[in-house]
Amino acid sequence: MAGASAGITAGIVNMLGILPLWLYSAVLVLSFPVFIIGLFLWWMAKEGTEDIPFIGY
Amino acid sequence: MIAQLILATLTGLLLLGIHRKVIARIQRRPGPPVWQEILHMLKFSFKSTWIPATASTVLFRGVVLVAIGIWTAAFFVMLTGGSLLVIFGIYMLHKIVEHGFGLSSGSPYGKFGGVRSVISAASEIPLFVSVAAIAIFTRSFDISDIVAYQQVHGPLMFIAFPAAVAMYIVILSKMPFGPFSIVESKELVSGYKTEHFGIWRAGLEVCNGLKTTVLLATFLMVFVGQLPILWLGAGMLLLVVSLSFACALTPMLSPFDSVTVQTLVTGLMLCYGAVLFIGVRA
Repeated sequence: MAGASAGITAGIVNMLGILPLWLYSAVLVLSFPVFIIGLFLWWMAKEGTEDIPFIGY
Repeated sequence: MIAQLILATLTGLLLLGIHRKVIARIQRRPGPPVWQEILHMLKFSFKSTWIPATASTVLFRGVVLVAIGIWTAAFFVMLTGGSLLVIFGIYMLHKIVEHGFGLSSGSPYGKFGGVRSVISAASEIPLFVSVAAIAIFTRSFDISDIVAYQQVHGPLMFIAFPAAVAMYIVILSKMPFGPFSIVESKELVSGYKTEHFGIWRAGLEVCNGLKTTVLLATFLMVFVGQLPILWLGAGMLLLVVSLSFACALTPMLSPFDSVTVQTLVTGLMLCYGAVLFIGVRA
């Protein structure tokens, strides 16, 4: 979520004219991969919570 | 911008799905649904994952972030009408990323995929000659200037047809199941991505989606000009279908044949570039 926050904040600050375009693009290039991998890490199936195999009654 | 990046990723994955579907239909197979590549990415992202014992942990994870990062940069350069050289510098960097993917895992299949990625760097040379040929006409490497040139003189596809063909071959060499797709050929299992699974593979799929969108849209902007979004989508679809025909009807070349063909294309492009240059100087 830090990646998304950084990207969205940089976008807003860029629109307000405070952040130059090159700095906005640099923030985006760094934050988008972090956002994607962070999102996937958040929703992926965690280890150690495996299903109990069906072993009959 | 993040929303646009996600949209571009999903568009690229959808186009890759259409690519697979068209190839299958040409080969008289039902093929997967067109959204299969999107499902593929989501499927990997939901799975649990681990890193092989033989892998370099930092490189194994870091290369995925680099892969997404460089194509994010390329997408940004394309949208802002930046330099074509930056986009093709990133294209070259992607070779190093593929190499990093292959070497980081410690798997022989991954390593061979990485090595093939390096030897297929021959495909980049026609690209640079193609870019140079464009610059002879437009006097600029900026996409915004190239688009402006085409608004006055008409599409570069007609003015510099051999350059368009060379760049088409470069894009073909990046499409899966193509004659030049030696980095992912089946004798290497999945080539450089064999050992990346779970979220790391999903990250690679995100990179592939972005890469496909950037390469196809850049081709259209450079050789056809600025198009409305619907026409751009239609153009990308048409381009993918034509690439699918080329992939479906051509056998995968052996690594040495692949490099030989690409080197021949480079030779022809060099001759074309020389003729253009002499014409301009005369």
